[in-house]
Amino acid sequence: MASYVARRLLYALLTFFGITVVVFALVHSVPGDPISFYIGTHGVSQLSSAALDAIRREHHLDEPLISQYLWWLRGVLTLDFGSSIINHQHVTTRILEKLPNTFILNSIAFLLAAAIGVPIGLWSAARSGRLMERASAVLFFLLYSLPSFWVALLLMEFFSVKLRMLPLFGMTSDDYLQMSAAEQLLDRLRHLVLPVVTLSYAQLAIFARFSKSALTEVIRQDYITAARAKGVAPQAILWRHAFRNALIPLITLLGLTIPFLISGSVIVEQIFQWDGIGRLYFDSILTRDYPMVLGLTVATAVVTLLASLLADLLYAAADPRIRLEEQR
Amino acid sequence: MKRYLAALFLVLACSNERPLPPTTSVDESTPQEGGTVVRRLQSDVSTLNPILSTSGYDRFVAFFLFTPMVHFDVNLQVIPGLAEKWDIAPDGKLYTFHLNPSATFSDGSPVRASDVLFTLKKIVDPQNEAPQIAGSFEQLDLRNTKVIDDHTIAVAFKQELAAQLAHFNDLLVLPEHVYSKGDFKTDFAARAVGSGPYRLVRREPGKEILLERRPEYWGKRPYLQQVLFKVIIDDGTAWNAMKRGDIDESMIAADTWLMESRRPELTKTIDFRRFYTLTYNYVPWNTRDPMLSDKRVRHALAMCIDLKSIIDNLYHGTARAMNGPFTPDQWAYNPDVPVIEYNPQQAQRILNSLGWLDTNHDGILDKGGKPFKIEMLISGGANPSNPFSQLFQSELRKIGVQLVITPLDPSAFIQRALAGNYQCAYLSWDLDPDPDPFPLFHSSQIPPHGQNFVFYSNPEADRLMEEGRRELDQSKRTTIYHQLHALLADDQPYTWTVQVSSKWAINKRVHNVKESRGWGLFKWYPGELDWWIPSNQRTHDAAARRR
Repeated sequence: MASYVARRLLYALLTFFGITVVVFALVHSVPGDPISFYIGTHGVSQLSSAALDAIRREHHLDEPLISQYLWWLRGVLTLDFGSSIINHQHVTTRILEKLPNTFILNSIAFLLAAAIGVPIGLWSAARSGRLMERASAVLFFLLYSLPSFWVALLLMEFFSVKLRMLPLFGMTSDDYLQMSAAEQLLDRLRHLVLPVVTLSYAQLAIFARFSKSALTEVIRQDYITAARAKGVAPQAILWRHAFRNALIPLITLLGLTIPFLISGSVIVEQIFQWDGIGRLYFDSILTRDYPMVLGLTVATAVVTLLASLLADLLYAAADPRIRLEEQR
Repeated sequence: MKRYLAALFLVLACSNERPLPPTTSVDESTPQEGGTVVRRLQSDVSTLNPILSTSGYDRFVAFFLFTPMVHFDVNLQVIPGLAEKWDIAPDGKLYTFHLNPSATFSDGSPVRASDVLFTLKKIVDPQNEAPQIAGSFEQLDLRNTKVIDDHTIAVAFKQELAAQLAHFNDLLVLPEHVYSKGDFKTDFAARAVGSGPYRLVRREPGKEILLERRPEYWGKRPYLQQVLFKVIIDDGTAWNAMKRGDIDESMIAADTWLMESRRPELTKTIDFRRFYTLTYNYVPWNTRDPMLSDKRVRHALAMCIDLKSIIDNLYHGTARAMNGPFTPDQWAYNPDVPVIEYNPQQAQRILNSLGWLDTNHDGILDKGGKPFKIEMLISGGANPSNPFSQLFQSELRKIGVQLVITPLDPSAFIQRALAGNYQCAYLSWDLDPDPDPFPLFHSSQIPPHGQNFVFYSNPEADRLMEEGRRELDQSKRTTIYHQLHALLADDQPYTWTVQVSSKWAINKRVHNVKESRGWGLFKWYPGELDWWIPSNQRTHDAAARRR
């Protein structure tokens, strides 16, 4: 087990370096540069060329790409991701400032989607082919296809503007600091409702259909037929015999979803003015704020690698036939 | 499970929403003190350090916290700010400012001439990586700039510049004893000490900025007790917030204006305003492109823009036609310069006379075997440059010119423009109050040295721009710019299209909201400092109570 984890970590490290090279090359090959952000932002006035040169020097923009990469890598190895070219703040500070917001929103949406989606999937698998199941499949397909910006605006229009039941945007109310602890928690929850719904309805559809198809696959296996022939109760077949084996594809889905917990969602964050990673990522790309884009990409890459490691470990836990260590 | 969820939802949904304000009658004709106005920020400020500011939003907030050396009034004329008076040496290179002796910073310390010098040094120090405001003081002669006494400073320049006095509006004076400590670039992003009428209560990045009136303010006291800036990036969300009364003002999109501004249930509480600011839209022509280097060709192409139809159909009458580098609100505007008339037949005749004929009968003009095909860069996404470019494309097709539209993001576009790697584009400029067009059209400003990315070079225009920016006599300067306006309109390095009006929604509880001639609602003096809210309509006071 330990040697397996160590080996996987070593692979992850190599993959990580591969990612840094590719991302660095990609970010720098996009046309435009951080300096162009300043053009036209101060009316038609002339810009100070001395200050522009200072920016180029400070961020090594005037050096060859390979040496820019080495400068950056040196920083990364000492956990210094540099500072933003646009507002001089440290990349790490900025990311840590926004990460909790994105993480809270996305994990609640994720848990909600899984908590509702997976049982629905199991239910559909048990009733596969019946009318209700067919109808629910169509419904989920529709849900999945609804564009989130549109759904968000409809939810807002109805629950916030018409009924005035829920707050329109933001993470807390104006008088948040004067509330008691219980009121503060309630206030936060109220602000979470619309963004969570917007984020989770499509995920819910994915979870439901994914777990349904995984389970349907398993139910067709011979050992299920054998169990049924033995006279095991249908409930027990579903839970004890089938579900555990259907977990494998679900774990894959989990591993793929975890990185999204921190990468944020531009649309939902913008519409609900949720101050998270997605918007930071988007703005940094638009302004070609290289250190910020690279810092965010590295953070996402690390989480992705860890998630896939976690998924591999969970495979073994779910299915003893998957061995972590090679046969000696 | 389901029952719990439903119960949770009910709890969440039914808890306190702000009650509607009580309506008792209050005298609404005389300004009243107090109250909180809630403003919208379309984008969070990048920093509260005014020297490092990178966007207009930074300046919206800085206006309340700091005082510039000079203010602009409602007509964008220079009036006293921190400096109560000034003398300009006859050669135009030395400005002696007399500071208001009663001016103090929010920490109680007096504003001294040494603070002005300190701020100037910070502005021009390249290490601060602040290319924008530093650009306004590019000609500063620091060696000859001297503090004369506590309240007098002589600021010297290497070159005279008619716009220089106006640039002192960018000099928001910082207290040396505060800003000389710590890291200038990073330590003042969320705190501020200035000499403005308000002081910072708090800044929560990405969320809001709360300001409070200084009780001991040295100038004319504003009416509003608090100003709360809320960051709302999305226009749709901001408009919903406006309808709910969560915010008091917001710029609104053209389609919102069109659909909502005449609905009686909204006009009861919302004041819809529309006015022109210092912006214009234009088509820059790369004059180094062999196809576009002849001004007759550029004129012919300009004749295919049906401005009247664009104004009526695309902007629903909320825009006006442009004909040169100055807007009709600016003194530099020459009223005798005509708008190029829509006349595709004439355009075709001009192109034919220049040898562009459809020799192979494929519907596209050609010359020397080369088809008349040009590429127009527009910024990606849903914005008015999209329909404009499509209208232009269909008009050009009628006379046998093929226009290829390429959407790009701004950064990629700027790179191609500065490299001269384009033919034309559709863009807009935000202008400065001083009309000096030198940075855009003077031959010395051709990239990589500046923003003359149409590569326009005309010795006569160069001469007018050089004289115009140095002429301190206003009437002579006006004559020079009138000539320049006519010359640029004739040379067509740009084809100026329209000036689109700025559209705003303002909650009617906020009184005395005025717009300036060119800067709209904000940043001019007294502007926002004259706003007030009747005491019976203070819906947001509890919300922004000091914590």
